[in-house]
Amino acid sequence: MTEKSGDLVQGTLDMLILKTVALEPMHGYGISVRIEQMSRGIFKVNAGSLFVAFQRLQRAGLIRSEWKATENNRRAKYYALTNQGRKRLSNETREWGRQVAAIARILEAS
Amino acid sequence: MSLMRDLAGGVRALFQKKLVDKELDEELSGFLEMAAEEKVKQGMSRNDALRAARLEQGSLEVTKAIVHSAGWEFLVETWWQDLRFAARMLRKNPGFTIVAILTLSLGIGATSSVFSAVDRILFRSVPYPQADQLVSFGLTAPIERSEFMLGSNYVDWRRAPGPFQSMTSMIPGVADCDLTEQNPVRLACARVELNFLPTLGVQPIAGRNFSPDEDRPNAPRSAMISYGLWRSRFGGDPGVIAKTISLDGLPATIVGVLPADFEMPTLLPTDILLPEALDEAVQRRSAPGAVLRTFARLNPGITVAQSAAALQPLFAQALQGAPPEFRSEVHLSVRSLRDRQVQDARLASWILFGAVLAVLLIACTNLANLLLARASTRQRELAVRGALGATPARLLRQRLTESLLLGIFGGAGGCLVAYAFLRVFVAIAPQGIPRLGQAGLDWRVIFFTLAISCLSGVVFGLAPALSSPSPEMLCGKEVRSTARNLLREMLVAVQIAISLSLLTGAGLLLRSLSNLQSAPLGLEAQNVLTEMISLGAYRYPAPPQQIEFFDELLARLHRVPGVTAVALSDTLPPSGAMRSTIYSAIEVTGRARPTEGTGGMVGWRAVSPDYFSALGITMLRGREFTHEDQAPSEHSIILSDLLARRLFPSGGAIGKTMRFALAGPWRTVVGIAANVKNNGIAEQAAPELYIPWKNEDNQNFRVAHVILRSPLDPRTISNWLRSETAALDPALPVAIETMPQRVGKLSQRPRFIAALLALFAAMGMLLAAVGIYGVVGFLVAQRTQEIGVRMALGATPLSILKMILGSIARWIAAGAVAGLIASWFASRLLQSLLFQISARDPRPVAAAVAVLLLVAFFSAWIPASRAMRVDPMVALRYE
Repeated sequence: MTEKSGDLVQGTLDMLILKTVALEPMHGYGISVRIEQMSRGIFKVNAGSLFVAFQRLQRAGLIRSEWKATENNRRAKYYALTNQGRKRLSNETREWGRQVAAIARILEAS
Repeated sequence: MSLMRDLAGGVRALFQKKLVDKELDEELSGFLEMAAEEKVKQGMSRNDALRAARLEQGSLEVTKAIVHSAGWEFLVETWWQDLRFAARMLRKNPGFTIVAILTLSLGIGATSSVFSAVDRILFRSVPYPQADQLVSFGLTAPIERSEFMLGSNYVDWRRAPGPFQSMTSMIPGVADCDLTEQNPVRLACARVELNFLPTLGVQPIAGRNFSPDEDRPNAPRSAMISYGLWRSRFGGDPGVIAKTISLDGLPATIVGVLPADFEMPTLLPTDILLPEALDEAVQRRSAPGAVLRTFARLNPGITVAQSAAALQPLFAQALQGAPPEFRSEVHLSVRSLRDRQVQDARLASWILFGAVLAVLLIACTNLANLLLARASTRQRELAVRGALGATPARLLRQRLTESLLLGIFGGAGGCLVAYAFLRVFVAIAPQGIPRLGQAGLDWRVIFFTLAISCLSGVVFGLAPALSSPSPEMLCGKEVRSTARNLLREMLVAVQIAISLSLLTGAGLLLRSLSNLQSAPLGLEAQNVLTEMISLGAYRYPAPPQQIEFFDELLARLHRVPGVTAVALSDTLPPSGAMRSTIYSAIEVTGRARPTEGTGGMVGWRAVSPDYFSALGITMLRGREFTHEDQAPSEHSIILSDLLARRLFPSGGAIGKTMRFALAGPWRTVVGIAANVKNNGIAEQAAPELYIPWKNEDNQNFRVAHVILRSPLDPRTISNWLRSETAALDPALPVAIETMPQRVGKLSQRPRFIAALLALFAAMGMLLAAVGIYGVVGFLVAQRTQEIGVRMALGATPLSILKMILGSIARWIAAGAVAGLIASWFASRLLQSLLFQISARDPRPVAAAVAVLLLVAFFSAWIPASRAMRVDPMVALRYE
């Protein structure tokens, strides 16, 4: 649990994972690659934090998992967003927007 | 919802560990494979790619461990691990485990049982609503130490209750009354005022309280019955209300049923409440009037002391009317009902409570000592585990689990011990300790003592663990901590001090008990059998019938072979129950009555001829009563030596005439009897006079004692006695006891307290001995190497023994000194319980010190002698 993933805080990683699987169900590696790509290489998430987050999100009922074959014909666990997860994502996105805007205002004010 | 899913996920991880592990394994290796594939695509060789991926993502096993330890189920799993490990550790050190659990069990058990018992006496409230407002109030005098009031005053006081919401009264005590229907039974009846139950705040569970019309003189009789009587006699039938029963041959209507938990404020078992029917006019006219027990409920916000102050004017007024000799001796008293009920049980309870807390303290220090010893032997183990990656928190949790496990076992053992102890208490407890019979194991108490012991375990077990193990531990050298040894030795000193005060107290009480049991009574109790007979008011309403019954019985008993003497009396020594008068009421012919003060009480009994020879009381002068003294025209009297010396300091009492009640006949002194303990065995004999057993005015013969002296086996005689009585009246309840049994009962309470204190002292000493044994044993083990070196350099075994014993002796001595001081204070508390021995008596203290030092020496000597036998070669290679 002492893993450092970029400067990601726990809540943010959850949000990024939710966002990633919101587009389509995806397996663990795919999610890590997608996060790295979307952040243009700023966020590197390692397997430890990622899988702990999967377990946590799954137990919270925000994502569900399913074993499926990949395009390379390998068996992998695919994670998909649940309805509850979708709601949480939109809430958190909104909240995040508000916070970022607020922080930005404070920083610009000086 | 998500909580449920979390739970389900955790449970699945716990119980399908393999499956979940396999899934995670597959998922993670897939992850790495994919990462490697990506790198292969970018042109790496497959092996390099796999390595790079692994470097990037960290080891597979570590990742698995991280994921694994993220859920809550991980805590459960490790806790289970800790528990199993703790159990293994306890099993591996059976000596430590048994001593620790035994110590805990004894400590918890003794404390819980004693607390459960005294809790009802000292701390539980009496079973009435807002019981703290209830007080017992009235006058006290040397004659009567419980509050009472005289009818003529009471009828005035109750008009203006002053500080009280209400005041109420009852006729003192309970009277025998017979339910004279088919299957007649002897019951206990109490007579109470109209507002008695409302003042106590008690509601009948069926029916109603008395009505004002019923609490009047000559009103038709009504009764309230106890719950027990209602169930046993009337089968709990609600239709019992308004039913008429026959009480002592007269009809009475049942108006109400008392609640199951009802008890009289005087704690006397009572079956039936009758209206007091106090006649105000009669009370005033015949001042001072009837003696009443009076209780009241305080106004809200008024303290007991304030109410006593508010009653002072009324009291002063009441004193005006009292005979002058009473004025200086009568006092006003108001005290809470609980104080009245527990009276002298209070001190004993506090003493037991203190003793048992002392035992608990010793037990706790013992446990602390054991755990400290273990902690220092396990330093290296902890260091190794720390080095292997256990976090300090995890190590701490491990130790905590062990302490708790010990606590749980100790608690379970403690419950058993407490249960057994409580059974013993109730079995050996004397009569008259209020509410002891109801004492049950109190779970709050067990929990509390368990918490204390666990806490002491945790504190002392963890203190050394808190400092994380130093790496030097790993290299196998004992790092000695002198500070910790100091702590352990100080704990030993504390144990010695506490044990010494317990032993001193027990010694004092035992000594006092033996004094009590060997105190001369003034009579020969051996070979005397007594039978108490209480005649029912229905069959024996007046003295003639009563006298006739007893004359008949006496005649029958005279015919029994092997009986040396038979006599009757209305009361029996040495218990304090006898009729009494005040000294100043005694008039001697040709001499004025003393007017200053009452002169204290003089007891008197009505006794038949042969009373003195049956009880073995020496006649110092004159003669016993004979049958001639029972003639109506004869008025003779016998004085005790004490009374004779006081009335006739210059001697010559025989032949003088005197009377001891103003209206009574003048009586001629015919004899002087030796003093007899007549006020309990602990008290001095009170002055006493005897009049012949015969039908005189103001006499009542309903209750009498038959005294029978015979060298035969008391069991044979008592069968005789029983059958002879039954031949006269088979329904008569009788109580047969030997005189030694009667006397023994009087020392029951001191014996109870002394036995318990001795038990606790022994327990405390045992625990302290175990403590010393442990400390010295540990000291020897710790210094084995040093001892080896010393011996190799020429130290003799004896000097080694001296060294080891010397190191602990200082602390034992320090403990003994502290214990002497503590004993000095503790014995002060016992003073009022002691009989013919001063709390300052040095002998019990000296004996306690001697016993304790002996025990301490032996428990130190056993492990120390092990040091003597240390083989230098083995010791040097030690470690």
